[in-house]
Amino acid sequence: MRLASRTIGTAAVAALLLGGAALTGTSAQAQDKYKIFLSMSYIGNDWQAEAANMVKAMAAAPGMADKVDLQVQVAGPNAQRQIQQINAMVQQGADAIVTFPISPTALNQVVKNACDKGVLVFAYDAEITEECAYNVHIDQSEAGRIPAEWLVEQLGGKGNIVLVTGVPGTSVDTQRTAAAKEVFAKHPDINVVGEAVGMWSQAVARTELSKILATHDWDEIDGLWMQAGCYTANAMQLEAGKTPEGLLPCAGEGSNGGRIQMLSPDTEVEGAASPYAPLGAPRISYASPPYSGGLALKLAVQKLDGGDVPKLTVLPLPIVTSETVKLCVEGTWEEMKAGCNAFQPSIVTNPGWFASIFSEETPEIGLNAALVGQPEL
Amino acid sequence: MSASASYDRDEGQRKRGLDIRFNRFRGLATAVVVFAILLFVVDLISAGPLSYFDISFLSSGGATLALAAVGETIVILSGGFDLSAGAVLSLVNVVLATSMDPMNFEANVLLWTLVGIGVGMGIGAVNGFFIAFVRLQPIVVTLSTMFIIQGVTLLILDKPGGFVSPSIGGFYLGDLVPNWIPMPIALLVVVGFFWLWMKRTRFGTAIYAVGSDPHAAASAGLRVAWTRFFVYVVAGGFYGLGGVFISAQTGSGDPLVGNPLLLSIFAAVVVGGTRLGGGKGGPIGSIFGAYILMIVVNILLVLNVSAYYSTIAEGVILLLAVLAGSISRDSELARQIRGAATRIGAWRAGMLPSQIGGGDRRLSMTDVTRPESRTGEAPSFWSRHGEALRYALPAYVAMVLVVLVTQFWLGNAIFNWTYWNSLIVLSSFLAILALGQGTVILTGGLDLSVPWTIGFCGILLAGMVQGSDAALVYALPVVILVAVVIGLVNGLGIVWLGLSPIVVTLATNGVLQGAALLYSGGTPAGFSSPMLRAFMTSKFLGITPVVYFMVAFVIFAVVFLSRTSFGRRVYGIGNGVRVAQLSGIAVGRTLVGVYVLSAVCSALVGILLTGFSGQASLGMGDDYLLPSIAVVVVGGALITGGRGHYLGMLGGVLLLTALQTLLAGTTLPYATRAIIYGVVVLGAVIALRDRRETS
Repeated sequence: MRLASRTIGTAAVAALLLGGAALTGTSAQAQDKYKIFLSMSYIGNDWQAEAANMVKAMAAAPGMADKVDLQVQVAGPNAQRQIQQINAMVQQGADAIVTFPISPTALNQVVKNACDKGVLVFAYDAEITEECAYNVHIDQSEAGRIPAEWLVEQLGGKGNIVLVTGVPGTSVDTQRTAAAKEVFAKHPDINVVGEAVGMWSQAVARTELSKILATHDWDEIDGLWMQAGCYTANAMQLEAGKTPEGLLPCAGEGSNGGRIQMLSPDTEVEGAASPYAPLGAPRISYASPPYSGGLALKLAVQKLDGGDVPKLTVLPLPIVTSETVKLCVEGTWEEMKAGCNAFQPSIVTNPGWFASIFSEETPEIGLNAALVGQPEL
Repeated sequence: MSASASYDRDEGQRKRGLDIRFNRFRGLATAVVVFAILLFVVDLISAGPLSYFDISFLSSGGATLALAAVGETIVILSGGFDLSAGAVLSLVNVVLATSMDPMNFEANVLLWTLVGIGVGMGIGAVNGFFIAFVRLQPIVVTLSTMFIIQGVTLLILDKPGGFVSPSIGGFYLGDLVPNWIPMPIALLVVVGFFWLWMKRTRFGTAIYAVGSDPHAAASAGLRVAWTRFFVYVVAGGFYGLGGVFISAQTGSGDPLVGNPLLLSIFAAVVVGGTRLGGGKGGPIGSIFGAYILMIVVNILLVLNVSAYYSTIAEGVILLLAVLAGSISRDSELARQIRGAATRIGAWRAGMLPSQIGGGDRRLSMTDVTRPESRTGEAPSFWSRHGEALRYALPAYVAMVLVVLVTQFWLGNAIFNWTYWNSLIVLSSFLAILALGQGTVILTGGLDLSVPWTIGFCGILLAGMVQGSDAALVYALPVVILVAVVIGLVNGLGIVWLGLSPIVVTLATNGVLQGAALLYSGGTPAGFSSPMLRAFMTSKFLGITPVVYFMVAFVIFAVVFLSRTSFGRRVYGIGNGVRVAQLSGIAVGRTLVGVYVLSAVCSALVGILLTGFSGQASLGMGDDYLLPSIAVVVVGGALITGGRGHYLGMLGGVLLLTALQTLLAGTTLPYATRAIIYGVVVLGAVIALRDRRETS
């Protein structure tokens, strides 16, 4: 089966990239489908659900649907269960396993074993340090450094700032926070007056900021660096009586709510309601893009087809500032390619939804993929 | 009376001979049978037959959980409770991963195993000291040490990394006899024999005796305090061994690896047939319980259960496994069915069930006048409220100290109205949960369905309201009604099926998680209406509206628990189910009411959180489970039920919120904050210690 596919591998990949289904359609019917498993982590947050939708959409895309038999399983927040799950997937005869790894190190042994049995393991967003695994993610240090540098520049190198970090004890949080602190340390006039653990959640960001504001005043703070929660921080400033013009510069995640707030106040959007509305907020929005899972699946199929896939795919860090933000009308892949990066609140009703879903590499998946798991037609 | 109890211990005593022996091992036997069936199912529907290799993998997959569950079982047998188990696993893992020489691929297995066990026993000794000799409640001590250990773990290793020598992995994941006996199985067999040996020693007997009745054990001349101390030390040793195993399995360190295992550990213990509260069950059942939980992962995979349904399926499997263990002629379910049969028979015969046996069996209450003692002078204020005050006061005193520290460290607290306003707004969630969880704890239960009741209700509200104030009019009652149904399911599951509250509420939590995912399709839509948002975030006369609401809520809660007949029934049940039943309290109905109250409180928190955040999110309730238990206990309530006052719990809420506010205002690293948090909680409860208990 794999031998047959290898001979037409290169051609199939080329056809696939063009979105043409004719060639792959006929050749794929002759062979069995690849058995691919998705081992998700926790599904109790928006990012994970969105990423899973995009993996499912990728598997259903024309040219993929007749090649891939995808099964989705959830391991929860527990690395032990993911170990067991990946073992079970190998036992069930997986050709490839796409996974959001709960721990970069704890899975190494089981991943090694999977590789030894000829199973491809692709990790998206977070990494697996075992050498035989394929990793698809952004450079997390950059994701801490670039927003921090932007903030320093906005503040002219001096002022009081508040940091809201992610989940303590994870590599991603440690790398981002360390990189950001390194930047701040170079500017002695930047004072960190408060640091809260935000757990990458808008809701937690709100409780933690409320705690900080119990003993500090908004007037004592000049800027915010948050791994998630700028949308919430802006909403809180409005509640506290600030005008949209007075909003503090905030360096943070790429939620759609935050992107909409970055649009200039006279932009016409459908379904806006304060604080999910254009405010002209001074922002830099970076993201760990949720399409990484979909891309990982695509790369896995490429590899199974006999193509060449590097062990490490570093995704370009999506950066949107108040100057480059642009509203999408429908949110097709073509439209995003033309440069839009924020979605109508009438279509994306959840402001915490992650807006960085565009990749040059994945024309199969657009807005509908992220929302409901439907590929682009 | 539809209400009766599985709680009566004396039921089994009527049985004699073989029945007793079988009953004693019923939990274990069921766990073994359920495990065998599941294994058979996996083998049957898997792609290929299970090879030795697969069995070897299965055995290593569940070993960490099994070892930790063995430790937890011993604690629970002695009537204790240990929340630090997961944290110890992580600590041992990072200690090994950071102290091994990365150049040495042939590290000594025995030496490092002993290091791991030693670390675990050391922490067990700390737990044991505070529980046995300072006489603090196990749940508070282990909750505090859990935070402290998590902090220390992050100080040792702040992100995944480190190195565990392959020789350790080679040993623990290898074979005792190649192609015949995998090492994890051999290890667990050794653990099993160790337990069988220990059970026969005087210490082993003492564990069961102390767990069944500490006072009787003390009267019989057992040294209760020392027994408790060593229970935690031995349990710590097993967590340590579990930590060694997880290190072998992963070959590296991860500071978060063990923490999420905590709930699974409890589930494994309960599925293995050990009763919470002590005295019945054993660690061998828990080993099978652990493997049942792990093999469910394989079953969900081969059946290709969709991701959204997996938590629902797990909840149902957990319920069925435990239910299977409790089915017998004496089980609550059987009794309920017999009761229903009687009722139907009576209905067909046109009689009341009580008339079937002939005659009216009610007690004749001829003298319903006030008893002599009640007509006399009212007792003094102190003698009526002294105990409540003594247990409630420490939380308030500690809170005042925290506020003073805030004033001196950060300034801007005592004379800053914003500080107090924020404090009350942030406290409101836990204060409401404290009423629900507190009432459940007063009856001796525990509600683990809090997180996803909050999440599901919040998501449901946001989905219906869609930012419209008008929709709030019907959305609020609908959400509250849904909560009532959730509470009814919990309550009826506990009362009718006679299952442990932990199992039923844990299963409900899983089902609700699945329901929330299905309802929202993975991303919750909609947001809070402007009015609800204003309620939580705006200022009315300089005060956030929810503060006025909280004043009313606290008055209601105090009156409800201490001045209504429902409240008194709750305390009655907590002090002794049998006694309550014989005094004519409708135990079943009251218990159902208690779980309904808890669910409604959780729903209220879900609604308020949605208003506070402006929208609902999946997992919004995740951070509220352990705090909801902590505030109740820090406020002076007894985890085994019957003692506690709402004002004390409120003190606990204010203390923990003030402490978190203080820590958030500083720039201390998270690890240090976790340690301070644990130390303060521990310090606050040292003042609560039970001086009167015989030891």
